[in-house]
Amino acid sequence: MIAPINDQPALRLSRVTKSFGPIEVIKGLELDVRRGDRHAVIGPNGAGKSTLFNLISGMFAPSSGEIMLNGQSIGGLAPHRINRGGLARSFQITNIFHRLSVFENLRIGVLARHGVRYGLFRRIARMQQVNEEAAEALARVGLEARAHDLAGDLTYSEQRALEIGMTLTTGADVILLDEPTAGMSREETAQAVELIRSVTEGKTLLMVEHDMSVVFSLCDRVSVLVYGNILATDTPARISANREVQEAYLGQEAS
Amino acid sequence: MRKLFLPIALLVLLIVIPPFMGIAWQNALVNVLIASLFALAFNLLIGQAGLLSFGHAAYFGLGAFAALHMMIAIDDGFPFPTPLVPLAGAAIGLIIGLIAGYFATMRSGVYFALVTLAIAELFHSLAPRLEDLFGGEAGVSSMRMPWSGIIFGSTLEVYYLTLAWVVLCGLALWSYTHTPFGRLTLALRDNEQRVRFLGYNAHSSKVIIFAISAMFTGVAGALLAISNETANYSLFASDVSAQVVLQTFVGGSTIFFGPVIGAAAFTLFSFLLSDVTRSWVFYQGLIFVLVMLYAPAGIGGVLQHHIRHRRQLDWSRLACPYLVAILGGVLVAAGVVFMTETVSILFGEEYAMARQATAGGLPSYPLFGIEWRPVSPLTWLLPLILLVCGVAVMVRARRRIDALWGRMDESRQVTADVAVLGGAT
Ligand SMILES: Nc1ncnc2c1ncn2[C@@H]1O[C@H](COP(=O)(O)OP(=O)(O)O)[C@@H](O)[C@H]1O
Ligand SMILES: [Mg+2]
Repeated sequence: MIAPINDQPALRLSRVTKSFGPIEVIKGLELDVRRGDRHAVIGPNGAGKSTLFNLISGMFAPSSGEIMLNGQSIGGLAPHRINRGGLARSFQITNIFHRLSVFENLRIGVLARHGVRYGLFRRIARMQQVNEEAAEALARVGLEARAHDLAGDLTYSEQRALEIGMTLTTGADVILLDEPTAGMSREETAQAVELIRSVTEGKTLLMVEHDMSVVFSLCDRVSVLVYGNILATDTPARISANREVQEAYLGQEAS
Repeated sequence: MRKLFLPIALLVLLIVIPPFMGIAWQNALVNVLIASLFALAFNLLIGQAGLLSFGHAAYFGLGAFAALHMMIAIDDGFPFPTPLVPLAGAAIGLIIGLIAGYFATMRSGVYFALVTLAIAELFHSLAPRLEDLFGGEAGVSSMRMPWSGIIFGSTLEVYYLTLAWVVLCGLALWSYTHTPFGRLTLALRDNEQRVRFLGYNAHSSKVIIFAISAMFTGVAGALLAISNETANYSLFASDVSAQVVLQTFVGGSTIFFGPVIGAAAFTLFSFLLSDVTRSWVFYQGLIFVLVMLYAPAGIGGVLQHHIRHRRQLDWSRLACPYLVAILGGVLVAAGVVFMTETVSILFGEEYAMARQATAGGLPSYPLFGIEWRPVSPLTWLLPLILLVCGVAVMVRARRRIDALWGRMDESRQVTADVAVLGGAT
């Protein structure tokens, strides 16, 4: 019997490895992300968190192992295929269209959601639905006032908000955010957390996050990634009480 | 509607004036139009998609040969209307553009440029050996056949046919920028990786962009073939590819109509000067270098900068330094031309013969209607003085202009010069 889709994990990684030349960065990693969860990945620098995201989102193909998105194998597929399968990601280093307007940045994603990929025979100004959705996305990330400015002219935290907004426009239900609050002030972080909470309502979120207070306030589950392996996966409270984790990671950060 | 005033006025002029011109000028305008379309099609790649092709001669040449074969077929009785011959160029440009684009766009940047260059060189070296397709070294020739009462015998008829095609294709390319795919093209230029992660197939998108550019380039080539009624393998040469690069950048690749300015300027330049001087290729190169150094957005970029700020511009103050700057420019140009022409005479064949006749002496020579002696200090001091004065005048004027612009800028924030090909939504 096939399990109903809601019981399937949104993401399942089994025995995934990734090597860059002789160096194995991900070492037989196992991870389930339950549908509807907000799931954090923590771990020291260089543990392989971004690499993990790159494998899931199709930037790299895994060296071995299997990655399932909604029950379908996606390991090694091209990024645009994985995106069309319902997974979207943001980047640790802001990755936007610097010389396009903020509105345009969002509209590109909305067009993809509508499957308008080779639209050569209509005027974009007349595509009401698309323009409305782009405007909604703009409002959701609080950048209405900046709609017609170049994305490259935004402040850092505005660019991070745009980065999240773009990730959501394609309509994916599994969202990967790589350090969305990195480099932000306390107030900016609080705003970003509220933004992430509201835009991922009803979706599955997997995020890399260093700030444990963010993890506590936002996430249902946490996985600790150390040296290419998941050390433990549990609720934030139990993870922070876990001695092994403290030794491997939390203690290390405190030192 | 006011936005449309300028293009419509220009179009009316282009329709009304040519009948009163001589054939040589009509021909020059045909070449201006063709170069303009070529540059617009080329700029779809570099200006919008951020892909620098060094081999667009391939699609230009293919368009020309396709048109000639179509004209030969019409001559042999194939019922195809002569005014639609450029469609043959479009078709071949599209098809070969899809194939070549598939390989070229696998990579970006330098690799893309090199692959396009290699493809054009391939045609350049193969064409002289393919008798049937490219007519060997001599090339292919044909005649424009009359169609429904139009003879296409006169240059003026060819001019109007060319004008119609260039305007239609220009409009099509302009509309392209307002389509979803046109917007995606700009996004690809900015950040191809992000485009992929938003669910687009970046490679196939680039192949299509490349093919569309090649298609319009093919139309331009076909128009040239219709005008000349002949073409040979030299159309595939790398200097044809280079010309369109120079024209586009001098005109301004970040502005939609910028390349037209460059194409028109360079084409008229060569029409007016190629009989007067043998150094005009050098002058072209020099202009290119100067524009890249001092106005990287091109002539179009400079014009657009002024148009955009026309309300804030205080011409009562700016006019004077601008005139002075132009005067400085004229002085510099005079110095450069004098120097270049002198050098090209002294190292030319004619002068070598004159020296032999005087048994190795340094005889005087005519330039600008005056006899000059190579050993006279005046011969070298004059251009030097022109140059130094010109540069000094320009530097001072520029300082003044910068100061005036700077004062303006303080009152308001200036957004980057991305114009139509960027921020506009
Ligand atoms: N493209 C790559 N090529 C080679 N090594 C890489 C590449 N990407 C990441 N690595 C290496 O993999 C390790 C994990 O990096 P990363 O996933 O960025 O860590 P994290 O995001 O957890 O800080 C690092 O040692 C890094 O140098
Ligand atoms: Mg990282």
